[in-house]
Amino acid sequence: MQTVVTISLNGNSYQLEEPGFNLLRSYLDRAEARLKDSPDRGEVLGDLEQAIGEKCRGMLGPHKTVVSTAEVERIIAEMGPVESADEKAANAAADGTPNAAPAFPASEPRKRLFKIREGAMWGGVCNGLAAYLGLDVTWVRIGLVVLTLFTGITFFIYIAMLIIVPYADTAEDRAAAFGVPFNTEDIINRAKKNFDKTNDHWHREWRRQQRHMSRQFRQMNEQLKQTAANVAPNMNPAARGIMSVFIPIAALIGAVIFVSWIIALISLVTQHSIFGWGLPHGIPLWVGIIGLFVLYAVVSAPFKMVRHGGHHPGWAALSGLVWLGCTLLLFWAAYYFFPGFHELVDQLMWAANLTISTISETIV
Amino acid sequence: MNISEKLAPIRKGLLEFVILKIVAGDKVYVADMLKLLGPTEFATQEGTLYPLLSKLRREELVDYEWQESEAGPPRKYYKLTQKGRTQLSTLNDYWKELNRTLAEFGN
Repeated sequence: MQTVVTISLNGNSYQLEEPGFNLLRSYLDRAEARLKDSPDRGEVLGDLEQAIGEKCRGMLGPHKTVVSTAEVERIIAEMGPVESADEKAANAAADGTPNAAPAFPASEPRKRLFKIREGAMWGGVCNGLAAYLGLDVTWVRIGLVVLTLFTGITFFIYIAMLIIVPYADTAEDRAAAFGVPFNTEDIINRAKKNFDKTNDHWHREWRRQQRHMSRQFRQMNEQLKQTAANVAPNMNPAARGIMSVFIPIAALIGAVIFVSWIIALISLVTQHSIFGWGLPHGIPLWVGIIGLFVLYAVVSAPFKMVRHGGHHPGWAALSGLVWLGCTLLLFWAAYYFFPGFHELVDQLMWAANLTISTISETIV
Repeated sequence: MNISEKLAPIRKGLLEFVILKIVAGDKVYVADMLKLLGPTEFATQEGTLYPLLSKLRREELVDYEWQESEAGPPRKYYKLTQKGRTQLSTLNDYWKELNRTLAEFGN
């Protein structure tokens, strides 16, 4: 499957495969940079767009509506590098200056913080951070874990970064994430390198494992829903009436469990204790966190089953709304009545603010 | 360095002359110019030709007019201006002069 980008070239729209679009954009960006000092810049760019548009149209037919990446590569090769026709460039050529000398000013690439999906464990935060800092990603991950064990705030900074820092989705972003110059050859080279990396045996094995686990998890969820759905149609109207009372109650209990779980998780990470109960001696924090996740899954499962038991879109929507409302209400209550939670939220906001200002400083 | 590479700057310098010659005939469209130049020593690409044509137009040696095409948006058809015609005949004379000089030095 391939993402398709619709572009407009001199007033006509064309559909391009995404990598092809990136190639074309970098070609036009370079053309623009080359013609920076030319008084004909706007006109030449318009001409180039029209010529590319015509070539694109030549690639399409009644049953072909998308220009493939290979075709874009061919179009760009046909167009050839854009050369300014002004005296300076012509003189340079006459002086015997090599033609291939990059007249394109290699602007100092600026590094920016991104999340990077390729080779990420989870959200790509560590990966992006490693690229930004120029470190090996393993060290960043170890550093994060160690810091989290000593100061809980690191965990919140991580979550905040997960939410705020954008993904490097385009080739240009990825170049900015590593702080390397961005041009067509680079994209192709890097794409090749990534391909080799994906071919790496260990990497493939890891991907396979992940797919397997997520499939199992989906199956489990499916079974749970099936069981609930099978129960529902066999019930008589009276039982259905009782169900309709139980669904909001189940939603309420589900919300209570969810909020307690979040609070427990936060207090476990920051104070190493849950509602005053410390972790038993000798059990590391990460075991406690995993235990909490498992506990939540187990405890919340029956209520989820009841909520989906109605097996009717209307009920599902209602219970979803009730659940959301209860969760928000409980969070609000927790914020106002538990000073500890209050402080934590404030800390979280502070961490988020810090991250935002760091990021905006990085960008500016 | 082979001969073709050595003479690349000369061809590049002459491209403007060649374009003026082509435009001097009938009104032409860029794709037609490229097709005409393709099999010759002056084979070039849009990336070079468009900036050159824009420069020639700025110097008022060529001009273009829009013409509807059977498919797609209207196209620019280039033609020589009066100033361009004068320039072309000057260049033609100069080229003959060069040839004569070269001939005088023997084979």
